[in-house]
Amino acid sequence: MILSKFKQRIGLGVAIGLGSLLMASGSALAQTEVVVIKRPAELRDAPGDAARALTALPVQTPVTRLGDRQGPWIKVRTADGAQGWIHMFDVTSASALPGAGTGNAGTSALRSISSFFNKGSTHAQGGTVATSTLGIRGLGAENLASAQPNVAAVAQADALRQDAAQARQFASASALASRSVEPLPVPAAPNTSNTGAAAPLTPDR
Amino acid sequence: MTAHTLSSSKCRTLLGRLGLAALLVGGLHTAAHAQDAARALGMLQSLMNGGAAKPAPAAPSTPNSAAGLASALLGGTLAPGAAPQASRNADLFQLLSQSMDQIDEPREIQIGQQLAAMLLGSKPLLRDMALQRYINQLGRWISLQSPRPNLPWTFAILDDPGFNAFAAPGGYVFVTKGLMDRVSDEGELAGILAHEITHVTAKHHLIALNKAARAGLLTQAISAQFKNDLGGMVSGQLLALGRNIYTKGLDQDDELDADRTGVALAARAGFDPYGLVAVLQQLRTAAPDDALFALSLSTHPPAQLRLNQLELAMGNRLDAYSGQAAVTVAQRIDKLAAAERAATAQAVAPVTGTRPVQGAVKKKN
Repeated sequence: MILSKFKQRIGLGVAIGLGSLLMASGSALAQTEVVVIKRPAELRDAPGDAARALTALPVQTPVTRLGDRQGPWIKVRTADGAQGWIHMFDVTSASALPGAGTGNAGTSALRSISSFFNKGSTHAQGGTVATSTLGIRGLGAENLASAQPNVAAVAQADALRQDAAQARQFASASALASRSVEPLPVPAAPNTSNTGAAAPLTPDR
Repeated sequence: MTAHTLSSSKCRTLLGRLGLAALLVGGLHTAAHAQDAARALGMLQSLMNGGAAKPAPAAPSTPNSAAGLASALLGGTLAPGAAPQASRNADLFQLLSQSMDQIDEPREIQIGQQLAAMLLGSKPLLRDMALQRYINQLGRWISLQSPRPNLPWTFAILDDPGFNAFAAPGGYVFVTKGLMDRVSDEGELAGILAHEITHVTAKHHLIALNKAARAGLLTQAISAQFKNDLGGMVSGQLLALGRNIYTKGLDQDDELDADRTGVALAARAGFDPYGLVAVLQQLRTAAPDDALFALSLSTHPPAQLRLNQLELAMGNRLDAYSGQAAVTVAQRIDKLAAAERAATAQAVAPVTGTRPVQGAVKKKN
């Protein structure tokens, strides 16, 4: 889905020279990601707990995301080709289960390095500043460091504001209605030394 | 302390005017010159303080502050009446260095404007009025369900290919064009905006700035006072603090709070509570060294940790609020434009007795 979006964009001629690079970047986000089942679940033929169960999915079963999502339900394909729906919270990234590699150790280690500039060097050869094979990069610390305050742009942004009445009109035109939703409970603080593990979770599902 | 603050604030105002005048006359535009000017002013201030305080540092300690100074000066020359503005901005930083309860809402908004100026100085506004209008409609609608519905909420898209979103005190929320391009649907975008809106309503950045300012004040009391007052629209000191916060990111607890509270907020506004969860699942697969994601990944807790915490908080509590058909941003904008055309047509068409009302443009979904 994401991939096709990128193709579309390229078709529109946006950043033609960077076309193939954008594709590469898009694939990093593509939802054909392989994920693993983290608690016993059923593959269902439609989104929802009430839908017919197609097959049992034991813990550690790898499944491939197909891109479709409806609320918490995502469409997946199993190794033997069965397609169906599972709850997002029943899967985790392939590396996050205990015994499945180093988990998120990489990212948690990165987190502890506060400087953006140092961050990339854990991956880059020769300890250079983070560079991208894509040749393009997003707003980064170096942009913030050299930014000259643009007061005129703030005034322009302020002029874009919509008031409450305009926002309600938007909601009404978009069939959006406000609902009463209880605040979520605050779970115990995460054990940061073990960020990838699903073991401490005791979810309702 | 009070007496000292009073006299030094008078002194700072004077210095501000002197500094501005000197620079206007001298036409100084480079950081090097600004640094000289700052050194001169620092000496002047230590003279005026009668040596009671610690000796002023000879020059701003980092190239950043010199650059900030130069930009403040350039900004000042453009603005009529910059000197009163400057002393107000200096007061803002002083305020930040004191106590949180001293920062009322108007001042919170002023601080936010300065940080917004910094963010908008790093990347320009995207030139797409339809998209800018849409993000304001969407964001304003979500903010109406927040605990602070009456802030001057301002949403804007930065012209940047990266994937990121920022909030600043007082109601500023920025998202990048790269983020707009990559969200699969409006529910995901709503989840991201609700996360950022929570940073504002919970004053996460304001509190972080306050902490940083108070910590820095102990060692930089004097330099902070004079560096601010050189006649800019933006306080150099606040700028330095802002750069630091937006580069380092907030505390992990603030991010997890924004995730949890944002999910409930998005659901309250009628959106799929799983929008943010879906975004985080995508972020989890982004390579940490992908330059388009680098800053958002380095300034946030790992996506898997955020997902685990959200799962603990959500369980299946919000499943009943999900299941709405996904609408892409492009579809929404088309629908809004169509609704607007219909409303315009209706307004010009002869109507019997009643004016067209809001409900008349409501479209079936």
